[in-house]
Amino acid sequence: MSVALAPLKAEIEIGNHVERHLFGLTFNIDTIWSTAIAGGLVLLLGFLARRALTKNPEDHVPTKLQLFWETIVDQVNKQVEENLGRVHPYVAPLAVSLFFFILFCNWLELLPTEINHSLHLTPAPTADTNLTYALALVTMISVWAYGIRQQGLGGYLGHFFANGPLLAPLNILEELIKPVTLALRLFGNIFAGGIMLSLIGLIPLYILWAPNLLWKAFDMAIGGIQAFIFALLTVLYFSMAAGHGEEHDEHEEQHEHTPQPAAA
Amino acid sequence: MVIPLAEKQNFLVPNATFFVELLAFVLLFYLLARYVIPPINKAMTARQEAIRKEFADAEEAKSKANQAEEEFRAQIADARHEAARIREDAREQGAQIIAEMREQAQSEAARIVENGHAQVQAERQQAVASLRAEVGTLATTLAGRIVGESLEDDERSARVVDRFLADLDTIETSEAAAK
Repeated sequence: MSVALAPLKAEIEIGNHVERHLFGLTFNIDTIWSTAIAGGLVLLLGFLARRALTKNPEDHVPTKLQLFWETIVDQVNKQVEENLGRVHPYVAPLAVSLFFFILFCNWLELLPTEINHSLHLTPAPTADTNLTYALALVTMISVWAYGIRQQGLGGYLGHFFANGPLLAPLNILEELIKPVTLALRLFGNIFAGGIMLSLIGLIPLYILWAPNLLWKAFDMAIGGIQAFIFALLTVLYFSMAAGHGEEHDEHEEQHEHTPQPAAA
Repeated sequence: MVIPLAEKQNFLVPNATFFVELLAFVLLFYLLARYVIPPINKAMTARQEAIRKEFADAEEAKSKANQAEEEFRAQIADARHEAARIREDAREQGAQIIAEMREQAQSEAARIVENGHAQVQAERQQAVASLRAEVGTLATTLAGRIVGESLEDDERSARVVDRFLADLDTIETSEAAAK
């Protein structure tokens, strides 16, 4: 076994991207390429569904594609309504977009398009922090904007001091860490999946199919779960920013800090 | 941007790809939120509405049908009742008519019989009276012819005839009694 493992060190390279340099900036071409594929697929399915349902609005019998979309949209709408009290016209589409986009990005990894060990035509773009940071940034800026619009700037900032000034730095830190965890959780899971796939790829061909099949099935589940978690956390962060997120997990604090915003 | 050792980049540190990804996702989000998700929501709401309406319609139609059936049953029952009543009436009326007719016929018959009796009585009386008047003269005339003028005395002859007739009467009544 040790003989077989020896060449592994040399062949696997982690976090390598196909790079192009333009105006002194570095672009990961493979990530951009696979993002375009995933995004294009989502848009294609989305517009196909749209065409199916706008062609004949009187016909209430949905196509299968429509049902697929409706299942997700309906679930997200329910989740948003539960947390925000209504189907928010910005939050719900954001969560749906995040879910579909991340799902397709994650599943791209599973396509057997590896030309060799160092070149994968469709690596998961979510295995690149550039994408996950971007998603987390869009989410968190939206959350903060929502919180400020919902409670006013004073109310939103006062919310950090709700448990006394001593805990305020922690609260602020938590708020700043949210996007980082959001981004790195997704990145880590998918990145690890990719590493597993390339490790499995080193196994001799006659036995490779078994772990490959198992892992890919598992990875599909992980991809779905991660997309779901990202969308769900987005909704929960919105709910927290609106000031009624604590109801779910911290009942005692709710009573303590309800009069607080009025004082602050 | 921190570049650790040599030229190899730390994969946790973003590079310019970040902006491309940001733009890509914002674009995707915009397109989905603008063109795809609203019609899906609309279609779902419309379908729910349509289904709700279908159910309401079906419910209404069912209750209407039930009501119509009930009405129909009630009418049938009414009609049966009416028919029975009419039949009963007709029977009663028929019986009454028959009874009336019978009574009328009986009284008519009685009247006719009565009339007959009275007429017979009257005619008999008349016949007896005229006989009484004529038989005397006829008999005396006949007897005078036979006997001659000796019987010219009216008073005597009338007495004889009367006695004769009275005899006849007694014979008649005794004969009737014998019968």
